[in-house]
Amino acid sequence: MTTLYFTEEQRDCLQELVNVAMGQASDKLARYLDTLVHLQVPAIALVETEQLPEHFARRYPQHNASLISLGFFGDQGLRGETIMLYQLENVGVIAQLLGYDDDDSSEAEMLTDISSVLTTTFLNGLAEQLENSFSYAAPRILSSRDQHFVQKLADTASQWQLALQVDIRYQLIDYSFNCDMMLLVPGEAVLQLRQMLNKVLAGF
Amino acid sequence: MALTVLICDDSLLARNQLKKSLPADFDASIVTASNGLEALAILRSTEIGLVFLDLTMPELDGVGVLEAIKAEAMDCLVIVVSADIQPEMQKRVMDLGALAFVRKPASAEKLAEVMHKYGLI
Repeated sequence: MTTLYFTEEQRDCLQELVNVAMGQASDKLARYLDTLVHLQVPAIALVETEQLPEHFARRYPQHNASLISLGFFGDQGLRGETIMLYQLENVGVIAQLLGYDDDDSSEAEMLTDISSVLTTTFLNGLAEQLENSFSYAAPRILSSRDQHFVQKLADTASQWQLALQVDIRYQLIDYSFNCDMMLLVPGEAVLQLRQMLNKVLAGF
Repeated sequence: MALTVLICDDSLLARNQLKKSLPADFDASIVTASNGLEALAILRSTEIGLVFLDLTMPELDGVGVLEAIKAEAMDCLVIVVSADIQPEMQKRVMDLGALAFVRKPASAEKLAEVMHKYGLI
């Protein structure tokens, strides 16, 4: 598994590409919510997917969180899945911001909507910088409020080898909500990604 | 005497990208900083004519640097180069005295255009 890891130069490169892509996603979110989003340096970490459920179980002691998944497929074998994780108290804040009703069906619709905006804008930004282009599967709800999210995350993560864990904090002026984004990619896609990063690095 | 330019960004890639994208005929010596605090330390001790400033950085962000430059009335020009492209943020840095806003990744053409506009090349 160690062969999948990145050099410091590759990590820095990926972090900067993520930063640019996040900037575009935040701009979209700011327009969507009609507010200013305070951007923070994205904390990114590459971890083996089996470590993910434990990481989030430690980070969020409560059992309930909503998970929204979006699969993506790019050129040259670059593919994977993004998962957005929303804690319940943040779901309420988002519903208030967007004016959704407080019931289960509209909550699902709202989280799917906001996840689509954030992840497709983010992934398009990333693809553009890698001179790639992605197509997307329809967003899926992996876990809603009545389920134990850690088990659901473990089930999904086990299909992939490596996870790019991106901690995103979307801090708004009047309200604040946090959500986490995970980028899960299979081993062969990591090798492709490394080559693409080397190509970007070779240009400078 | 050639201008001294400060490139402030937490990413090595972004600093290298910017250095490489500067016009070939731009005669300047270049120093770098990887966060806002480092940038301020350099600005207070060295005569810097032009700063390329990132916004999203650890320790002290670009807005903090602009506020300090304004508060201490430092005599330098600042071009913000950032991924935070929200219109509100662009307005905010311009209000704080930035000369121009360039979105990341900064292309050589865009940098040349901005620098030409303000008589830097």
